[in-house]
Amino acid sequence: MTGILRDLFPLVWSGMITGCLYALGALGLVMIFKSSRVVNFSHGNVAGFAAFLIYGFSSGMIMELSWGAAVLLAVLAVIAIAFMTYAVISPLVFESDLTATIATLGIGLIAQGATLLIFGADIVSLDLPVPRFSMSVLGLFITGYDLTVLAVAVVTIGALFFVIDHTKLGIAFRAISENPFAAEVCGLNLRSVHLFSWIVAAVLGVVGALLIVPTTFLSVTTVAAFMLQAFAAAVIGGFGSLPGALLGGILIGVLMNLFTFYVSPEFSSTFLLGVILLALNIFPNGILERVGGTRV
Amino acid sequence: MSDHPVTLGRFDAEEARLAGLKPADLLSLGLAAALILLPLLVGGSWIFALGVCFANSIGVLAVSVLVRYGGEVSIGHSFFAAVGAYSVAVLDTRFGLSLLASLPLALALGVVSGVAFAWPSRKLSGIYLAVSTMALALAVPELINNADGLTGGYEGLYVSQPVIPGIAMSLQRYYAALIVLVAVVYGLARLRHSRQGLQLLLAKAHPAAADAFGTRRVWARVAVMGISGGIAALCGAMLGFAGSTVSPSGFTLWSSIFLLVGSVVSFYGLSLPRALVGGAFLTLVPQFLSASGAWIPVLYGLALLGMILLGHYLPRLRAMIADRKGGV
Repeated sequence: MTGILRDLFPLVWSGMITGCLYALGALGLVMIFKSSRVVNFSHGNVAGFAAFLIYGFSSGMIMELSWGAAVLLAVLAVIAIAFMTYAVISPLVFESDLTATIATLGIGLIAQGATLLIFGADIVSLDLPVPRFSMSVLGLFITGYDLTVLAVAVVTIGALFFVIDHTKLGIAFRAISENPFAAEVCGLNLRSVHLFSWIVAAVLGVVGALLIVPTTFLSVTTVAAFMLQAFAAAVIGGFGSLPGALLGGILIGVLMNLFTFYVSPEFSSTFLLGVILLALNIFPNGILERVGGTRV
Repeated sequence: MSDHPVTLGRFDAEEARLAGLKPADLLSLGLAAALILLPLLVGGSWIFALGVCFANSIGVLAVSVLVRYGGEVSIGHSFFAAVGAYSVAVLDTRFGLSLLASLPLALALGVVSGVAFAWPSRKLSGIYLAVSTMALALAVPELINNADGLTGGYEGLYVSQPVIPGIAMSLQRYYAALIVLVAVVYGLARLRHSRQGLQLLLAKAHPAAADAFGTRRVWARVAVMGISGGIAALCGAMLGFAGSTVSPSGFTLWSSIFLLVGSVVSFYGLSLPRALVGGAFLTLVPQFLSASGAWIPVLYGLALLGMILLGHYLPRLRAMIADRKGGV
C-alpha cells in the first residue's frame, strides 16, 4: 500500500506539470474555437516551426542571438503567421466552420513542409536557460524545470483569464463566443476579435512548445505529437470552455502518466483515443457543463 | 463543402436522364477502356505507379463518400485502410491465401470496423467527429507495431501470392487494382439511385424530414461509416497488393490527411475521372518530387488551400459574371 502511494504521488506531480503544458496548448485551441468556431489543426505544426525558429536564431544556424532575442523574434514570426493564416481562412470562417477547419490542415501541412525545408529532418536539442536546481520535498523530487513550468503556466494562464474577465477586449471576446450575431449588431468587429484569439493562441502554442521541448528533443513531429494531448484536453473540457481546457489538460497529464506507468507505455495513443471517445459521449459539453441539448 | 442541398425535385430529372447514357458516363467508360489497354503501351515502373494510383483513388472515394452521404469529414481513414491492408498481407504471408480470399475478408472487416467506430461516435458531428477520427488515425501505427507477431511490426509484410498463377505479377497488381476501383465506382453509382442511397442523402440534407420518413439519423450515420470504412479497407487491400509491401509507416495520420487532400482536390467527386484525379495527385506528385521530399507537404497544403478557396470563390465569380451579362 505504501509502495503504491510512494509511486503515485510523484506520478501525479509530474503529470500535473506536463498537464499544465497540455493546458497551454488546449487553451489556444479553445480560444480559436470559441471565437471563430474553427478547430485549428495547424496549431502543433506552427508551434513546432516556432520552436525550430528559436533553435535556428539562437544556435547560429540562421543567426547567433541571445535566447531572449531569439524567442522574441520567433514570437513575432508566429504572430505574422497567425495573421496570414487568418487572412486566408477568414472568408471561409463565415461560411462553414468545417471547411475552415479543413483549410487549417492545409496550413499545418505547409508549416510542416517549411520546417523540413529549412531545418531538415534532424533531431536537435533546445534547452531552457533555467537554473539547474533540485530539491526533495515529502518524497517528491522537484527540479528547477518543474518550478519554471509551473510559474510560467500560472502567470500566462492568470494573465489570459484576467484579460478575458476584466478588459474590454475580453468582454468583446466573450460576447462573440456567446452570440456572434448579437455582438456584431452591437457594433463589435468580429474579425479583429477573431484575430486577437488567433494571435493569443499562437503565442500560447509557442510558450507550450518551448517548455515541452527540453523534456524530449526537437524534431519535426515532437511538437505536433504533443498537441494531440492538447486536443484531448480541449475535448475533455468541451472545446468551448477555457477553465475546462485547463482542467482537461491537467487531467490528461495525470491520466497519461498513470497509464504509461501502471499499464503500458506502448498504447498511449490508443488510450487517448478511448479517453476522447468516452469524454465526448459522457460529457459532450465538457466536464464543467451540465449535459443537455446539442452544441452546434 | 459539398453542401449539395438535395432537393426532392431534382431526383426526377436524374431518373429521367438515367434512361440514356450521359456524356459523363461515356467519359468514364472511355477512360476505363483506355486504362485497360494502357499496359500495352507503357512499361514497368509506370504500371506499378498506376496500380498504386488506382488504390489511392479508392481511398479518395472512401473519404468522399463520407463527405457526400454523411456530410462529415474524416482524417482517420488510414485506420480502415490498415485493416484492409493487413487482412491481405496477413492472409498472404501466414496462410498463403491469395487476394480472392482476402479481399472479401478485407471488405467485411472494413465495414465492421467502420460500424464499430460509428457506434460510439454516433452522436458526434462536424469538428467533434473530425477530432475523434484524428485520434483514431494516431492510434494505428502503435497498434500495428504492438501486434508484431501478426503484422511484422516496423518491418512490415510483403504481398506475393498471385490471384491467377501464371500471369506476370506486375500485370496482376495493375489489373486487380483497376478492377476493384471500377467496381467501387460502379457500386457508388448504383447507390446514388438506390432507395438506401436516397435515404442517406435525405438524412444528411433534411434530418427532420428523414426522421419523419422513418430513416433514423443514427442508422444513416452508422450505414455511411460502414460503407466508407469498407471502401477504405478495399483501398488498403489494393495498396498492399498493388504496392506489394504493407508497413505501419503507410498508415499514419498523414496518410489519412493525404486521403482528405485527394478528396478535396477531386472536389469530393464519386465518378471514375474525379477519383483518378485525386488518386493521381496522391501518387504521382510524390513520384515527381521524390528528389525533394520536403516540398510534398508544402505542395499538398497549397493544393488543399487552393482548392478550398477555389470552391469558395468560384461560385461567387460565376454569379458576378452572370450578373454582368444579365445587366448588358
